Amino acid sequence: MSHFLDYLILGLTRGSMYALIALGYTLVYGVLQLINFAHSEVFMSGAFGSYIIVHLIVGNGAGTPAWQVPFVIGIGMLSGAITAAGVGWTLERVAYRPLRRRGAPKLAFLIGAIGASFFLSTLASKLFNSQTTNQFPAFFGNGVLFRIDGAEVRVLQAVIVLSALAMMVFLDRLVSVTKLGRSIRAVSEDAPTAALMGVDIDKTISRTFVIGGLLGGAAGFLFGLNFSFAYNMGFAPGVKAFAAAVLGGIGNIRGAMLGGLLLGIVENLVLLIPGFDASWTDVVAFVVLVGVLMFRPTGLLGERVGRAA
Amino acid sequence: MTRVGAGGVHSGYRRSPAMPRWAARLLSCLAGSVVLAIMVGPQEGTTADYGLTFRKQVLSPRIVIFLGIGVLLFLAMTYWPKIAPFMTRPGFWPLVSGGLAVVAAQALMHWYDQAGDGKFTATASAVANTGGISPLAGAFFAWLAWTQLIAILVGGVTVIVLGLRRVGFVVAAAAVAAGVICYLSHRAVVDFAGGVDHSLGYAAAMIGYLVIAAAMLASALTTREQAHSKEFVSRVLAFRPGLPLVALGGVLGLLALIDARWFSPANKNLSISGTRALFLGSGLETIAMQYLTWLGWALLAGSVVVSGIAAWWRQRVVGWLAAAIGAAGAVITLITLYDISTVAALTSFDGATGAWQNLGAGGWMAAAALFLTGAAGFVVATSPRVKAERERAGEMRGVPAKPVSTTGQALGYLSAPGAARSALLIAVAAALFYPPTATGFWQQVLVTEIGVSMLLAVGLNVVVGWAGLLDLGFIAFYAIGSYTTAYLVGSLPVRPPSWLHMTPLLTIPFAILVCLLAGLLLGAPTLRLRGDYLAIVTLGFGEIIHLAAVNAKNITNGSEGTTNDTGTHTKSVPYASIHLGPIRIEWGLNQLQYWYLLLVFLVVIILAFRRLEQSRLGRAWAAVREDEVAAQATGINTTKVKLAAFAIGASTSGVAGVFFASQIGTFTPDNFVLNNSILIVAYVVFGGMGSLSGALAGAAMLTWLPEFLKYQVPPADKLMWIGAVVLLMMIFRPAGLIPARRRAAELSHFSDVQSAETDAVPLGEGMGGSR
Repeated sequence: MSHFLDYLILGLTRGSMYALIALGYTLVYGVLQLINFAHSEVFMSGAFGSYIIVHLIVGNGAGTPAWQVPFVIGIGMLSGAITAAGVGWTLERVAYRPLRRRGAPKLAFLIGAIGASFFLSTLASKLFNSQTTNQFPAFFGNGVLFRIDGAEVRVLQAVIVLSALAMMVFLDRLVSVTKLGRSIRAVSEDAPTAALMGVDIDKTISRTFVIGGLLGGAAGFLFGLNFSFAYNMGFAPGVKAFAAAVLGGIGNIRGAMLGGLLLGIVENLVLLIPGFDASWTDVVAFVVLVGVLMFRPTGLLGERVGRAA
Repeated sequence: MTRVGAGGVHSGYRRSPAMPRWAARLLSCLAGSVVLAIMVGPQEGTTADYGLTFRKQVLSPRIVIFLGIGVLLFLAMTYWPKIAPFMTRPGFWPLVSGGLAVVAAQALMHWYDQAGDGKFTATASAVANTGGISPLAGAFFAWLAWTQLIAILVGGVTVIVLGLRRVGFVVAAAAVAAGVICYLSHRAVVDFAGGVDHSLGYAAAMIGYLVIAAAMLASALTTREQAHSKEFVSRVLAFRPGLPLVALGGVLGLLALIDARWFSPANKNLSISGTRALFLGSGLETIAMQYLTWLGWALLAGSVVVSGIAAWWRQRVVGWLAAAIGAAGAVITLITLYDISTVAALTSFDGATGAWQNLGAGGWMAAAALFLTGAAGFVVATSPRVKAERERAGEMRGVPAKPVSTTGQALGYLSAPGAARSALLIAVAAALFYPPTATGFWQQVLVTEIGVSMLLAVGLNVVVGWAGLLDLGFIAFYAIGSYTTAYLVGSLPVRPPSWLHMTPLLTIPFAILVCLLAGLLLGAPTLRLRGDYLAIVTLGFGEIIHLAAVNAKNITNGSEGTTNDTGTHTKSVPYASIHLGPIRIEWGLNQLQYWYLLLVFLVVIILAFRRLEQSRLGRAWAAVREDEVAAQATGINTTKVKLAAFAIGASTSGVAGVFFASQIGTFTPDNFVLNNSILIVAYVVFGGMGSLSGALAGAAMLTWLPEFLKYQVPPADKLMWIGAVVLLMMIFRPAGLIPARRRAAELSHFSDVQSAETDAVPLGEGMGGSR
């Protein structure tokens, strides 16, 4: 039982990061109907951006007083989010808007995004370093916050899950209540009609990229806190998050949250099954994905049956 | 759902922007130049100091150059309307591309392989340090090369901008002279220093100068003269499809016989006459000796004359005769080359161990030339009946000139009768006769990278390009094909029963079968899915196969890779071989053999697919791609059709897998990662979705580029440049290198505007999407 809780907590941590990245995919998919393959690099840029700021403030982190830590974390998350939002915005302006103006085919977007992804990750390796073991200062050590039934909940894990949840709630409110959220939904629903109703489509799309970037950048920072980070860190979580977005029903915001959490949890719970070690987690993740899509071809919460594309 | 991505809906309203447009433009140009500054330069960041690269690349005097580029770009964009008219003047674009060719040749390409890294600067410093080379070469490599380029470019721009027509002739003559100087200087260096030299820098520069000369001639003519000569050329070509091939073959043949090297052991570079002198009385077969003495000339002359006659007067019978002469000539050339190299090997001349060694490019060029003239005859012989064609030519004369557009013009020439076939035959000649003259490195690249990628791209083109199903896990089938081969030849921990143990080439049908089944296995349950859902499931399938190969250690030997009987990893899958009674062909370390094997595969597959595209199934794919519901309504069994696409695509990559396994010998699951799947999709889309030649060109281009860049940029930066190239390509030419004809045709019916590049792009693109 305690193992179950252990893995559940690990899964929640990982899953909430997946969910944050998946939101970026799903938001962009909603307004543009295209897989933003470069989103994994937006996520990566968040980690590097926040690292530079955090490094400026606390150096290597030795001897940071405890009362400063929450501020540092907050600033780190903010700087990561802002960097990534900037990268996302630039990406939209430089790559996607010209493609959109030219009425490029969908696969051209996809390949353009892959090109941008290659470009950004190599540029990051060039600009910062090509090491794969960059570390944030360990602010919390291995500090345990509390135990449930013998399972440890570490401070870091709590910070990750809680901040991710907060952001998801915020996004959910943003999309359902505010004017910007309404225009995003309108553009997803029917772009030409939305334009006729006075929605500035260009602006909405570019803000959607910014929002996706904010979430992805924050996730990049959280990911960097938990693991080491590198120029190529975006790829694997990016693919997983994309899978999560599809699992939940791509284009559906709550679906992305659900899919991300679910994928993270399933991935870790698999380890409970005897005979499965860590090398099988990815296999299981994809098998689950394929299995779910077999029965629900448009994902868990996807509603637009039959007209998914 | 309406798609913004493809529909191009513009903004509803616009408030006044926060920043004047010019300021935003200037800022983005400057930002771009900063990024460029980071792109050009070494990687220097460390874990201790993240800002190092930034400080070195951006906060240093060199940034001024890049900001200057940014400002120039800004000025160019701002004053575009004033600049643009000059660009449509005749000769402008040829001048630019010729200039770029020369710059590229002098900045990037090899000039003399034996000097340092072989590039221009290395050659120049070697020349500077060596006395006794002709003064022309000395001057050329010291200062003349760049000076003459700049002088000619300035002259050319002046002629075009000021409209000084007659000066154009002077500049054209100067450009020709500069090209000759390039050639002579290179020749002087090679003759002086000897040694094996495969460099092509001089040739590229020469071609660049010739293009500039042509540009200058074009701008020197009056409008009437231009129209007249254009009309003359199109009239001549409209009736004489084989003519360009004859001309090309003739030029190539003359180069081969007069100038090129036929036999080049370490420090001898012998032309055809030198080779003859060397082999006089050394037991060369009569025909080879005669070839070197006079037969080569006679064959070339005869072939050019006969095919020229056939092409000019469009005589089908003479065309067949020319084809026969060309083919026979090419074969005789090959026999001669074989003979020369065997005799040389018998006397173990310069360490030669077998046939086909130490040969220069000349023989292959001569063979290509004869092949091309023969091909011209073939084109003439197989072109439609003369009468109908004559009427068509008459019609064409009446058609007004097409609107000015560089792509439109290029397509115009390509649409001349027989031009597509001619281009194809030139490609075949290059594929047959270029590889032997390439360096070992490029031969290897050609086989292991370019060739295999072409096979895979052609296979994926069926799934993505024709049936419109986005497959992001295509590499899985390649893996399955490779592992099937490894199993059947006994290179995996699991051994096949002894009656099933076989040589690599025999495994082809099995690999095809297994891949076909795998394709059906993947296809059957996923066909309900559409668009991006299908993409992620195929991606997942690819990952599952890859991870299974890594994890199932007792079947695939995991990440250790395939092993041979003794448990070592070197060359665990044997080389391909054919033993059929008296015929024994064994493939070995020589990459060329594999290239020709690959060529056979490719040709068979391409021929089959060309027929497939026009078949009932191919048309059904197009229908499903464009609108699945409508296709179903017209009675197409969409399930069957989609499954067929999956299965056919998969079996193609099964063949590629067999080839790969046998050629590379040892492989691990790391050869089949997700990134490679994505790259293959990129090849297909880059080349032009749904067009066979596009898939081939895309694969060749995108696999050639990294290997080319290997020498030009730090290896770690390769992906960055490729990413930039792919992105720019998609932005500026979204339909790909060679757009599919059917898609272009579909669109032209709906669109009033002609020849705009984006019109070649259908509105609702593939992937089983809704319109």
